[in-house]
Amino acid sequence: MPDTKRQPKQRSLPEAGQMADRVAPFALIVGIVLTTVGFFLAFFYAAPVNGAEVYARDAAGNILRDSAGNALPALEEIGGQLVSNVLLISQKIFYFHMPVALVSFLALAVAAFYCVRFLMTKQQRYDTCARISMEIALVFVICTMITGEMWTRFEWGVWWTWEPRLTTYLILMLVVIAYFVLRNALDDPERCATYAAVVGIIAFVDVPICFMITRLVPSSVHPVVLREGGMSADMGITLVLVLIGMLCVAFALYRMRFRQVRMQERVEALKAALDEE
Amino acid sequence: MATPSTFRQYKTLLVKDVRQEFRTKEMLTSMGIYALLVLIVYGAALAQTSNQLDILQMSGGLLWALIVFTSLLGLNRSFFAEKEQGCIEGILLAPLDRSVLFLAKATSNLLFLIIIEVIAVPLFWFFFLTTTTPAETFPLMVVPLIVGTIGVAGVGTLLSTITMNTRGKDVMLAVLFIPLIFPLLYACVSATTAVLVGGDTALNTFMLSLVLAAGYDIIMVLLSWVLYDFVISA
Repeated sequence: MPDTKRQPKQRSLPEAGQMADRVAPFALIVGIVLTTVGFFLAFFYAAPVNGAEVYARDAAGNILRDSAGNALPALEEIGGQLVSNVLLISQKIFYFHMPVALVSFLALAVAAFYCVRFLMTKQQRYDTCARISMEIALVFVICTMITGEMWTRFEWGVWWTWEPRLTTYLILMLVVIAYFVLRNALDDPERCATYAAVVGIIAFVDVPICFMITRLVPSSVHPVVLREGGMSADMGITLVLVLIGMLCVAFALYRMRFRQVRMQERVEALKAALDEE
Repeated sequence: MATPSTFRQYKTLLVKDVRQEFRTKEMLTSMGIYALLVLIVYGAALAQTSNQLDILQMSGGLLWALIVFTSLLGLNRSFFAEKEQGCIEGILLAPLDRSVLFLAKATSNLLFLIIIEVIAVPLFWFFFLTTTTPAETFPLMVVPLIVGTIGVAGVGTLLSTITMNTRGKDVMLAVLFIPLIFPLLYACVSATTAVLVGGDTALNTFMLSLVLAAGYDIIMVLLSWVLYDFVISA
């Protein structure tokens, strides 16, 4: 990223429109195409998954069958709730749920990086970067929550369960929202930027916790997919396509919003400069 | 004139906070009364269930809810005098390392929280746990109380400094404090409940939760300590 080495004394205007901005529209198109292709692949290419079906069993553990030989469904307790669970087409949500969640983690990491950069240099540019990364993170966190809720509802039969990853992700969302509430509650721009940077860094502590929690505390709802080899090749390809698509979309959104905000800041700076003359 | 050592600076600031508190008793009385009021609300909330329900299973959670809400009130007040009487400007004029300020403030907050817990936990016991028989491991609940309070005081000091200058600071502190403290709260509730209820796996759960809580404490307190310089100077 080209650093303009802006000195606070020598007045230079907020800039935007570097190479990355020219790439952004193409990235958006590529992202949309890849995500759409991934959407079709998820339904027509990736094999349907026969997930955790719950059958009635007798005392010896044999599956009970009806007269036609079909297994009888039953109820099982998952997360303190009784669910009767035959996996439907809802597993397709996975191909969007996981990439969106990964992108939200990445956006938070980028935001934390810019927060650190801001505290090091106190340049307004980094504060803007951090704020916009947070905005992108919020968009993807909310998308993850929505897909996750559909997933838990249709796959596990409950709207909400206080399962470790759901819980840590919920508080992650609350912290991201708190970041914007805090920004709104402060008037002095420099103080606002500093406080927001501090909260942005602290908020990032929850990301590794949320990421690692399923490895530390085994949970029935979120399996560790990658390490346990729970995916076949066709599922993997679909997932990677959607992941790359989502990354492109996130990048494009970030750059476009950044350009808009920077232009606005430039106009403000120009106005201030004109007033002085 | 030689600069006083860091420890003397720390001691002076701490003594100032403690002396101010014991003269006005502003934070301690408000926290104490609030804790009692929360207990009374619990009484109403649980009045219909106590015959059928095993209160032991819920006691860890109820106790920690009491501590979190009470400390929220106290932390809000901890910078009140500094801000109202311009004391913070005077302290910032002195040539001392800002992290000493954090340590002194966090220690005084920790001290006040512990004083309140010494009053509130026996009261909680008196109101709700005398009808049941907790497991024999119950004295161990002091450990999660201490670990949890250290984390609450550390993170709370940083956040109350941030919210001191915001509009609507009471709400702002809660909005930041409760999500950030959540992992610690979760671990402490699980540890406290494990020793109160007992059972075969209680000690395992207790140790695992304590390790998680202590790890969270170390990360958060160190991070708050490092970042405090930026916050107080802004």
